Amino acid sequence: MERSLDATVFIVDDDAGVREALAWLLRTRRLLSESFDSADAFEAMLSRGFEPRTPGCVLMDVRMPGTSGLAQFEKLLARGWDKLLPVIFLTGHADVSTAVAAVKRGAFDFCEKPFSDNALVDRVVQALDLSNEALSQRLQQGRLALLLAELTERERDVMRLVTQGLPNKLIADQLNISVRTVEVHRARVFDKMNVKSAVDLANLLRNQ
Amino acid sequence: MISLPRGWRRWSLWGLLVVLVASLLVTLVWLAGRYEADQAQAKMERDAADAASDINAALTRNVQSLRALHAGEPTLADWKQQAQFLLQEHREIVRLEWRDQAATGTLGAVDTPFRQPVFDRLGRTNALPDVQHACSAARRVSAPAYAPSSFVQQPDGLGLEVMEMCMPVGGASSEAGYLVATYSLPGMLSELIGKSVMRGQEASFNEPDGTRLAIYGMAQHGKRAFVGQQLLDLQGNTLVLRMTSWRDAPDVFPNVLTALLTLMSIALVTVMLLLGKDIRRRTRAERELADALAFRKAMEDSLVTGLRARDLHGRISYVNPAFCQMVGFSMGELLASGIPAPYWPPELVDEYQQRQAIRFNGNLPPREGFESVFMHKDGSRFPVLIIEAPLINAQGQQTGWMSAILDVSEQRRVEELSRTSQERLQATARLATVGEMASLLSHELNQPLAAIASYATGSRNLLQGHSPADPILADMETAMQRIAEQAERAGKVIKSVHDFVRRRDQARETVEPQALLQAIMPLVALQARKLSVQVHTRVEAGLPMALCDRTMVEQVLLNLARNGMQAIQATPAHSMGGESRLDLAIRSGASDKLVRWLEFSVQDTGSGIPDEVAPKLFTPFFTTKAEGMGLGLSLCRTVVEQHGGILVFEPAPGGGTIFRFTLPASPISDSTGKLPESPHGTVT
Repeated sequence: MERSLDATVFIVDDDAGVREALAWLLRTRRLLSESFDSADAFEAMLSRGFEPRTPGCVLMDVRMPGTSGLAQFEKLLARGWDKLLPVIFLTGHADVSTAVAAVKRGAFDFCEKPFSDNALVDRVVQALDLSNEALSQRLQQGRLALLLAELTERERDVMRLVTQGLPNKLIADQLNISVRTVEVHRARVFDKMNVKSAVDLANLLRNQ
Repeated sequence: MISLPRGWRRWSLWGLLVVLVASLLVTLVWLAGRYEADQAQAKMERDAADAASDINAALTRNVQSLRALHAGEPTLADWKQQAQFLLQEHREIVRLEWRDQAATGTLGAVDTPFRQPVFDRLGRTNALPDVQHACSAARRVSAPAYAPSSFVQQPDGLGLEVMEMCMPVGGASSEAGYLVATYSLPGMLSELIGKSVMRGQEASFNEPDGTRLAIYGMAQHGKRAFVGQQLLDLQGNTLVLRMTSWRDAPDVFPNVLTALLTLMSIALVTVMLLLGKDIRRRTRAERELADALAFRKAMEDSLVTGLRARDLHGRISYVNPAFCQMVGFSMGELLASGIPAPYWPPELVDEYQQRQAIRFNGNLPPREGFESVFMHKDGSRFPVLIIEAPLINAQGQQTGWMSAILDVSEQRRVEELSRTSQERLQATARLATVGEMASLLSHELNQPLAAIASYATGSRNLLQGHSPADPILADMETAMQRIAEQAERAGKVIKSVHDFVRRRDQARETVEPQALLQAIMPLVALQARKLSVQVHTRVEAGLPMALCDRTMVEQVLLNLARNGMQAIQATPAHSMGGESRLDLAIRSGASDKLVRWLEFSVQDTGSGIPDEVAPKLFTPFFTTKAEGMGLGLSLCRTVVEQHGGILVFEPAPGGGTIFRFTLPASPISDSTGKLPESPHGTVT
């Protein structure tokens, strides 16, 4: 999948050496990054009207002075951004259990320091893919909502019965209208939703 | 007044009492005697009066009989015959004469047949003037009159006192004259006085001047005479009738007997009163004694301390129920036992006998007691504390030894338990500190290693973009790979060290929240006592079980509690006696759908945390204490976060600080029941 160029990796670590090393490593793989020296600084950026419009992920140390990585993750969860901004925790040996717990709560993964090879970067790429997917899904959902908003009440009823796989005759019986009218509605729904068949329509709505 | 010696006064009182009693007795005897004499005297007076009235009545009767002689103008012969009869009946009359009107001549005379005629010897003439005088008096008053008595010589040489009575007879006729009756005074006494009156007594006629005229009766002469006198007043003559009774002086003996009896009665009553009083006193004393005994028994029975008394030979003379219960033998078994005592462990008998020998040689045991080991009947040994004291009887002699025995096995067990728990906590604390240190080191080393590895990897990424034909670049790539490998190796070494220190499984277990507090309370209380800090615990009711690594959480609580107490100790208010208290509390915390939380808090009354310290509080190796390592709070946070909880602090309302941390509660038996496993579930 082609990745948009403005994908951003947010690095949250109190150790400047680690931050710089990670940023440099990501750059060698042509990934943009943004560094924060504490969870609080990251949170400050988020609360300054940040809206995830481009793919992104978070590399966050578990143990930091001030707000811990785990607490910051809870805040992301509260925003409902766990998919839009997947979090990869960076841990020492002591914090493995904490990181595992975080993964169970919905974090994308954790990575033990020191990192070897490109495993970490590969996971970052996967996280960005997930973010991209979540973004496009959200986009598609927005589009679908727009399409659905154009349907009339009666068309929406017909569409619901069509996706259940009912033939026109039965739909007409249920809605107490003529088969001819059903056919008209059906054609208009297909037209408005920009699909060719009932199967396409069902697929489109399933992702809703 | 000079007070007399107490003994002397008591004896003088007793003497006075004896004198009083003696005088009482004498008075009693004297009064009794006098009363008896009075009775006798009164009887004599009565007898004399009876006798006098007897004589008077008899004389009157005689006058009538004599008057009957002259009834119907008797001839002289008839008169004489009649007079004879009369004289036979009346022996007191010795002669009857019928005299002429002038009373000078005798018409006829009859003498008593019982004795010789009275006047045979001296003739009648001597007494005639008296008779004539009496007759004239009788004529004058027309009633019998008596002449004074006179003594008449008798032919047998004796004499007889007689008294003549003259009464006029025959009225105014020619035959009228006087009848003269001659009374014998002794005859009067013997005949006229009733026999019953006379018994045992003597009667006599006397002149008013006391001259005795006649006497009759035969009384024994005793020591004392009782005399009753009565005046016999006759016409023309007056006689004194005297009754005499001789009798012994009133017998003292019966009176003394009476007195003695009285005395004995008094003594008896007194003794009975005294006895009654004594019995009452004795009963009271017995009751008090019984009460005291019951009190003592209740006291002995209520004691948990065993009591044992031994005589000087070491034999048991007394044990209380507590001792019997302690050793499991009955009181009877113990009292019947000799040496060695049944509760001595067999292996220690020799030592105990030596100890006993030392004791009985008079060496006092230490006052604070000594420790020993006794054996229960079932064979189990238990440690005891014995406090022994000599048993001294009322005479001040030592009769044995009294011992108080305390079973200290429970105390020992508690001490042992407390020591092991303390050791365990301290060992865990050391281990946890080392673990925390390792964890910190590994984190600090891992940071640069991570950077190194990152740079190495990044370099390789860059090199891969170039032609691999260049041998220098190929060598460089190899070197970069080696750098990454070595960094990884260093990371593995650190990991192995860390794992070695932290090899303890962080096994989560379900545990009652209050059990966590109870585990550390002995240690906390120990320190609190030393610092005089009051420790209060408050555990909300109905809390769920906590799911945690028990020993590590105990370390957290212990660390926080110790920090709190040290904060209190450092407060000036504490040394000045202000309120110093440490509050340990557990309550249920905020819970969401997924997990319920328990909130633990530790609040002190210290002076709070300064603002410049607060941000660095959890920084490793940061400490405000001279001897601290600065790992305590860091460790606490690690532990809490490993459990998924958070550790925060805030100033307490009344000064001081509150530390709060949360732990997950056990999700078991939850009504939602949908959780496949805890989000913070078991991790190794």
